[in-house]
Amino acid sequence: MAKTIKETLLGTLVHGEEILEEINVLRTVSEDKISEEDPATARLKGLHPKELHLMVSAIYDTGKNAKIFRLSSKDGYLPPFEAGQYLNVFTVIDGVRTSRPYSISSSPRQRAYYEITVARTNNGFVSDYMLDCVNVGDEFTASRPAGVFHYHPVFHSKKMLMLGGGSGITPFMSMIREVLEAGLERDMILLYGCRNAEAALFHDQLTALSETFKNFRYYLVVSDEDAVWSGERGFMTAELIKKLCPDYMERTAYICGPEIMNQFCVDQLQELGFAQKNIRREMFGAAKDITKEAGWPSNLNGSEIFKITVNNDTVIEGHANEPLLTALERAGIRVNVCCRSGECSLCRVQLVSGNVFLSKGMMLRKADEKYGYIHSCKSYPISDLSILL
Amino acid sequence: MENYDVIVIGAGNGGLAAAATLAEKGKKVILFEKHNIPGGCGTSFRRGRFEFEVALHQLSHMGTEEKPGPLRKQFKRYGIEEEIDWIQIEELYRVNFPDGTGLSIPVGREKCTEFLCKEFPEHSDNIKRYFQTVYDFCNQANEFSAKSEESTEEPGAFKKFIMKKGFPKMYPTLAQYGLKSSQEVLDEFFPGCPKLQLALSVYWCFMGMRPDRFPWSILAKCTFIYMEDKPYYLRGTSMMMNQAIMEAAKRMGGVVQLNCGVKKIIVENNKAVGVVDENGKEYRCKKIISNISPLATYGSLMDPKDIPDSAREYLKPYTVGISALTCFIGLDCTPEEIGFTTSFTLNYESFDANKDFMDAYKLLPENDPLIATCYTVDDREVSPEGTSVITAGTLKYAEEWEKLSPEKYYEMKYEAGKRIVARLEKMYPGFTSHIEEMEIATPLTHMRYLGHPGGAIYGYEQDLRQSVFFFPTESKLEGLEFASGWVNACGFGPNYTYADKVATRVAKEV
Repeated sequence: MAKTIKETLLGTLVHGEEILEEINVLRTVSEDKISEEDPATARLKGLHPKELHLMVSAIYDTGKNAKIFRLSSKDGYLPPFEAGQYLNVFTVIDGVRTSRPYSISSSPRQRAYYEITVARTNNGFVSDYMLDCVNVGDEFTASRPAGVFHYHPVFHSKKMLMLGGGSGITPFMSMIREVLEAGLERDMILLYGCRNAEAALFHDQLTALSETFKNFRYYLVVSDEDAVWSGERGFMTAELIKKLCPDYMERTAYICGPEIMNQFCVDQLQELGFAQKNIRREMFGAAKDITKEAGWPSNLNGSEIFKITVNNDTVIEGHANEPLLTALERAGIRVNVCCRSGECSLCRVQLVSGNVFLSKGMMLRKADEKYGYIHSCKSYPISDLSILL
Repeated sequence: MENYDVIVIGAGNGGLAAAATLAEKGKKVILFEKHNIPGGCGTSFRRGRFEFEVALHQLSHMGTEEKPGPLRKQFKRYGIEEEIDWIQIEELYRVNFPDGTGLSIPVGREKCTEFLCKEFPEHSDNIKRYFQTVYDFCNQANEFSAKSEESTEEPGAFKKFIMKKGFPKMYPTLAQYGLKSSQEVLDEFFPGCPKLQLALSVYWCFMGMRPDRFPWSILAKCTFIYMEDKPYYLRGTSMMMNQAIMEAAKRMGGVVQLNCGVKKIIVENNKAVGVVDENGKEYRCKKIISNISPLATYGSLMDPKDIPDSAREYLKPYTVGISALTCFIGLDCTPEEIGFTTSFTLNYESFDANKDFMDAYKLLPENDPLIATCYTVDDREVSPEGTSVITAGTLKYAEEWEKLSPEKYYEMKYEAGKRIVARLEKMYPGFTSHIEEMEIATPLTHMRYLGHPGGAIYGYEQDLRQSVFFFPTESKLEGLEFASGWVNACGFGPNYTYADKVATRVAKEV
């Protein structure tokens, strides 16, 4: 076959003939590189499957208005995770598809199952359903484990100070179990704040572990004044941290609990002189009562209902005291979602017109701010809106 | 069923620019992106107080306001040039050597020549001759490509003979250096002076190809472009630029569908005529521009019977390129406190870049050249006051990472991160104690976000027989075109401008 003009001219370059010859040979002897199976998906399915298909294999009632759900995989495989990470579990309740992120409380050293712990919350749409309606054998889809609230071996201290509140104990259970079961070289102090000893989840187990292992100390801190309790009382103040954990400055602190407790602990740690890098906070979901958050417009009481125009063609209703994401889910509009806490940006939408209240903890990119993108899980309609998905 | 002039698959740099150009030309265009954000590699993510740039180091092709380069002109057409705060970078890069010395290379041909001649007086003649050769080469290459664009038809045998004889005389520098490796040319100009060679070969790491396989023509072009058009960064990471292009495409009438990938390309009578999206909705069009790899375009989106044999044949010689192992680090101190003075640095463990590069085939960083960029040096506002953003990492092939069991993955990922931080600690004492946020991206992380085979960040291997004159630009299916780093020089500037060229041609055809 006659050479093309391109080949002809390239042949005049130094090394031209040899490279052209090499390409011709490769064209003849190389294998076909086009394959039907997407190579990336195939390689990643053990580590990052797109979603998990789970089945409830056991339920343990803690007797404390919280249940532990043991979830096994329908196809027999669960990916590894880092202690402290969460699953976003999808449910369909009364025809509404929604989800909630739950920290995994079981140890990552075994993956026959994951355990999550669900505590009842006031008017909890999903928690009521989980506690009252879910039975062994029920099935769920979930995101693969995600989240950055975990020990980071490159720059975290091997000495950990854990500050947990209420159901915020769950990620710590996973961390503690991993360290103690695997004999990892780490030192842990857990301060667990609860209203009373009866409400403290995993209390007996934590007490037993602290008695067995030298590298784990556990203090339940009870806040109700009339509670019966012989241990630590009050809140997790700077003073208390100092008393229980004298080497606090050598530690990386981890906080997980209700929003108010979370912020309180940050303030206490800062008072003690903690650098920001040594304070690791688990994010928190939608506020219990958004109208109480600083900056909430005083002329709205939260009961208002606004019109939300989606993609210029669908109009739905949104309550001022509910995240935009909830309004979309209730209307059956499918939105990508994972953390429901403002961080992961999967539920990002563009605000074309109208006003939203942006709740604390939303992590926007600079480009989002400039071009009007918001995370719908932490945005509350405070006027009629038009959004693009 | 909806009808469009053009459907673009993938909102990476190339897909966004293609969609924007088509919308600008009044074409009915729709762009599909499976992720929730546009940008592909050109994006950012948040951790704590920080927003991390994922891919962009230095934007090329911009030029100054007075002397705009092709990319600035393109952005002007989109109406976004003034929307963005551009930051001109004052130093090209810094090379740090294993003996503790280093060289920070200034921008501009004169300044750079003067600086190097002062540092290496015994080589000053060769330095001047080298830059002259770089400029001659680029001017001849530009001249030749302008001329070849005029005539698209294949000439007759006689004319071919004349051209063959004339070519080396008309374009002597092009003919001599067009197919040489960077190492070969640097050995010719600077024999026995590895420091000078390393100081001038830095751009090999922008394309992930070690100097003895890296086409000198790309090195020369990078040198020329960054000298002439100046390197730029921008406020708000590459995500800002890509979001701006996406908004421009919408403003000009284009449709952008995020969170919606394409499942299938519809082929009828050996012609691509439309797509089915992941929700099963069908769209018809006159042309498709694919911004994803040719491998995935043919392999994953087409019915096997529709894949042309000629495409299989055509892609056979091309090998999937390198990935990366990157640490994204937020520090709670200023760059000065730990001694970062130049934003872009390349750090060597020995004077033999080719040998050190071979560690890219291993799982963990060993003597791999370390690329570290401190964005705060160029932009004080990139993170809160008193903090810094640094990305540091090495190029890595995915193969060893692909072999890891999922159980071993996290352990190896953190071990890799530790090694990179240890290298930084050695150069910048105190570094580790300032880390406030850190995320490690392995070749598998790149694979997961980009969906590329091998977690490739630069497409195919950019060596002498797969790049420059041999990019797999051709489509083997009527109605289908490609615009991405897989079929052309990778990098932001080259991708935007190449996609613009493809889209401009397609706009005339539909």
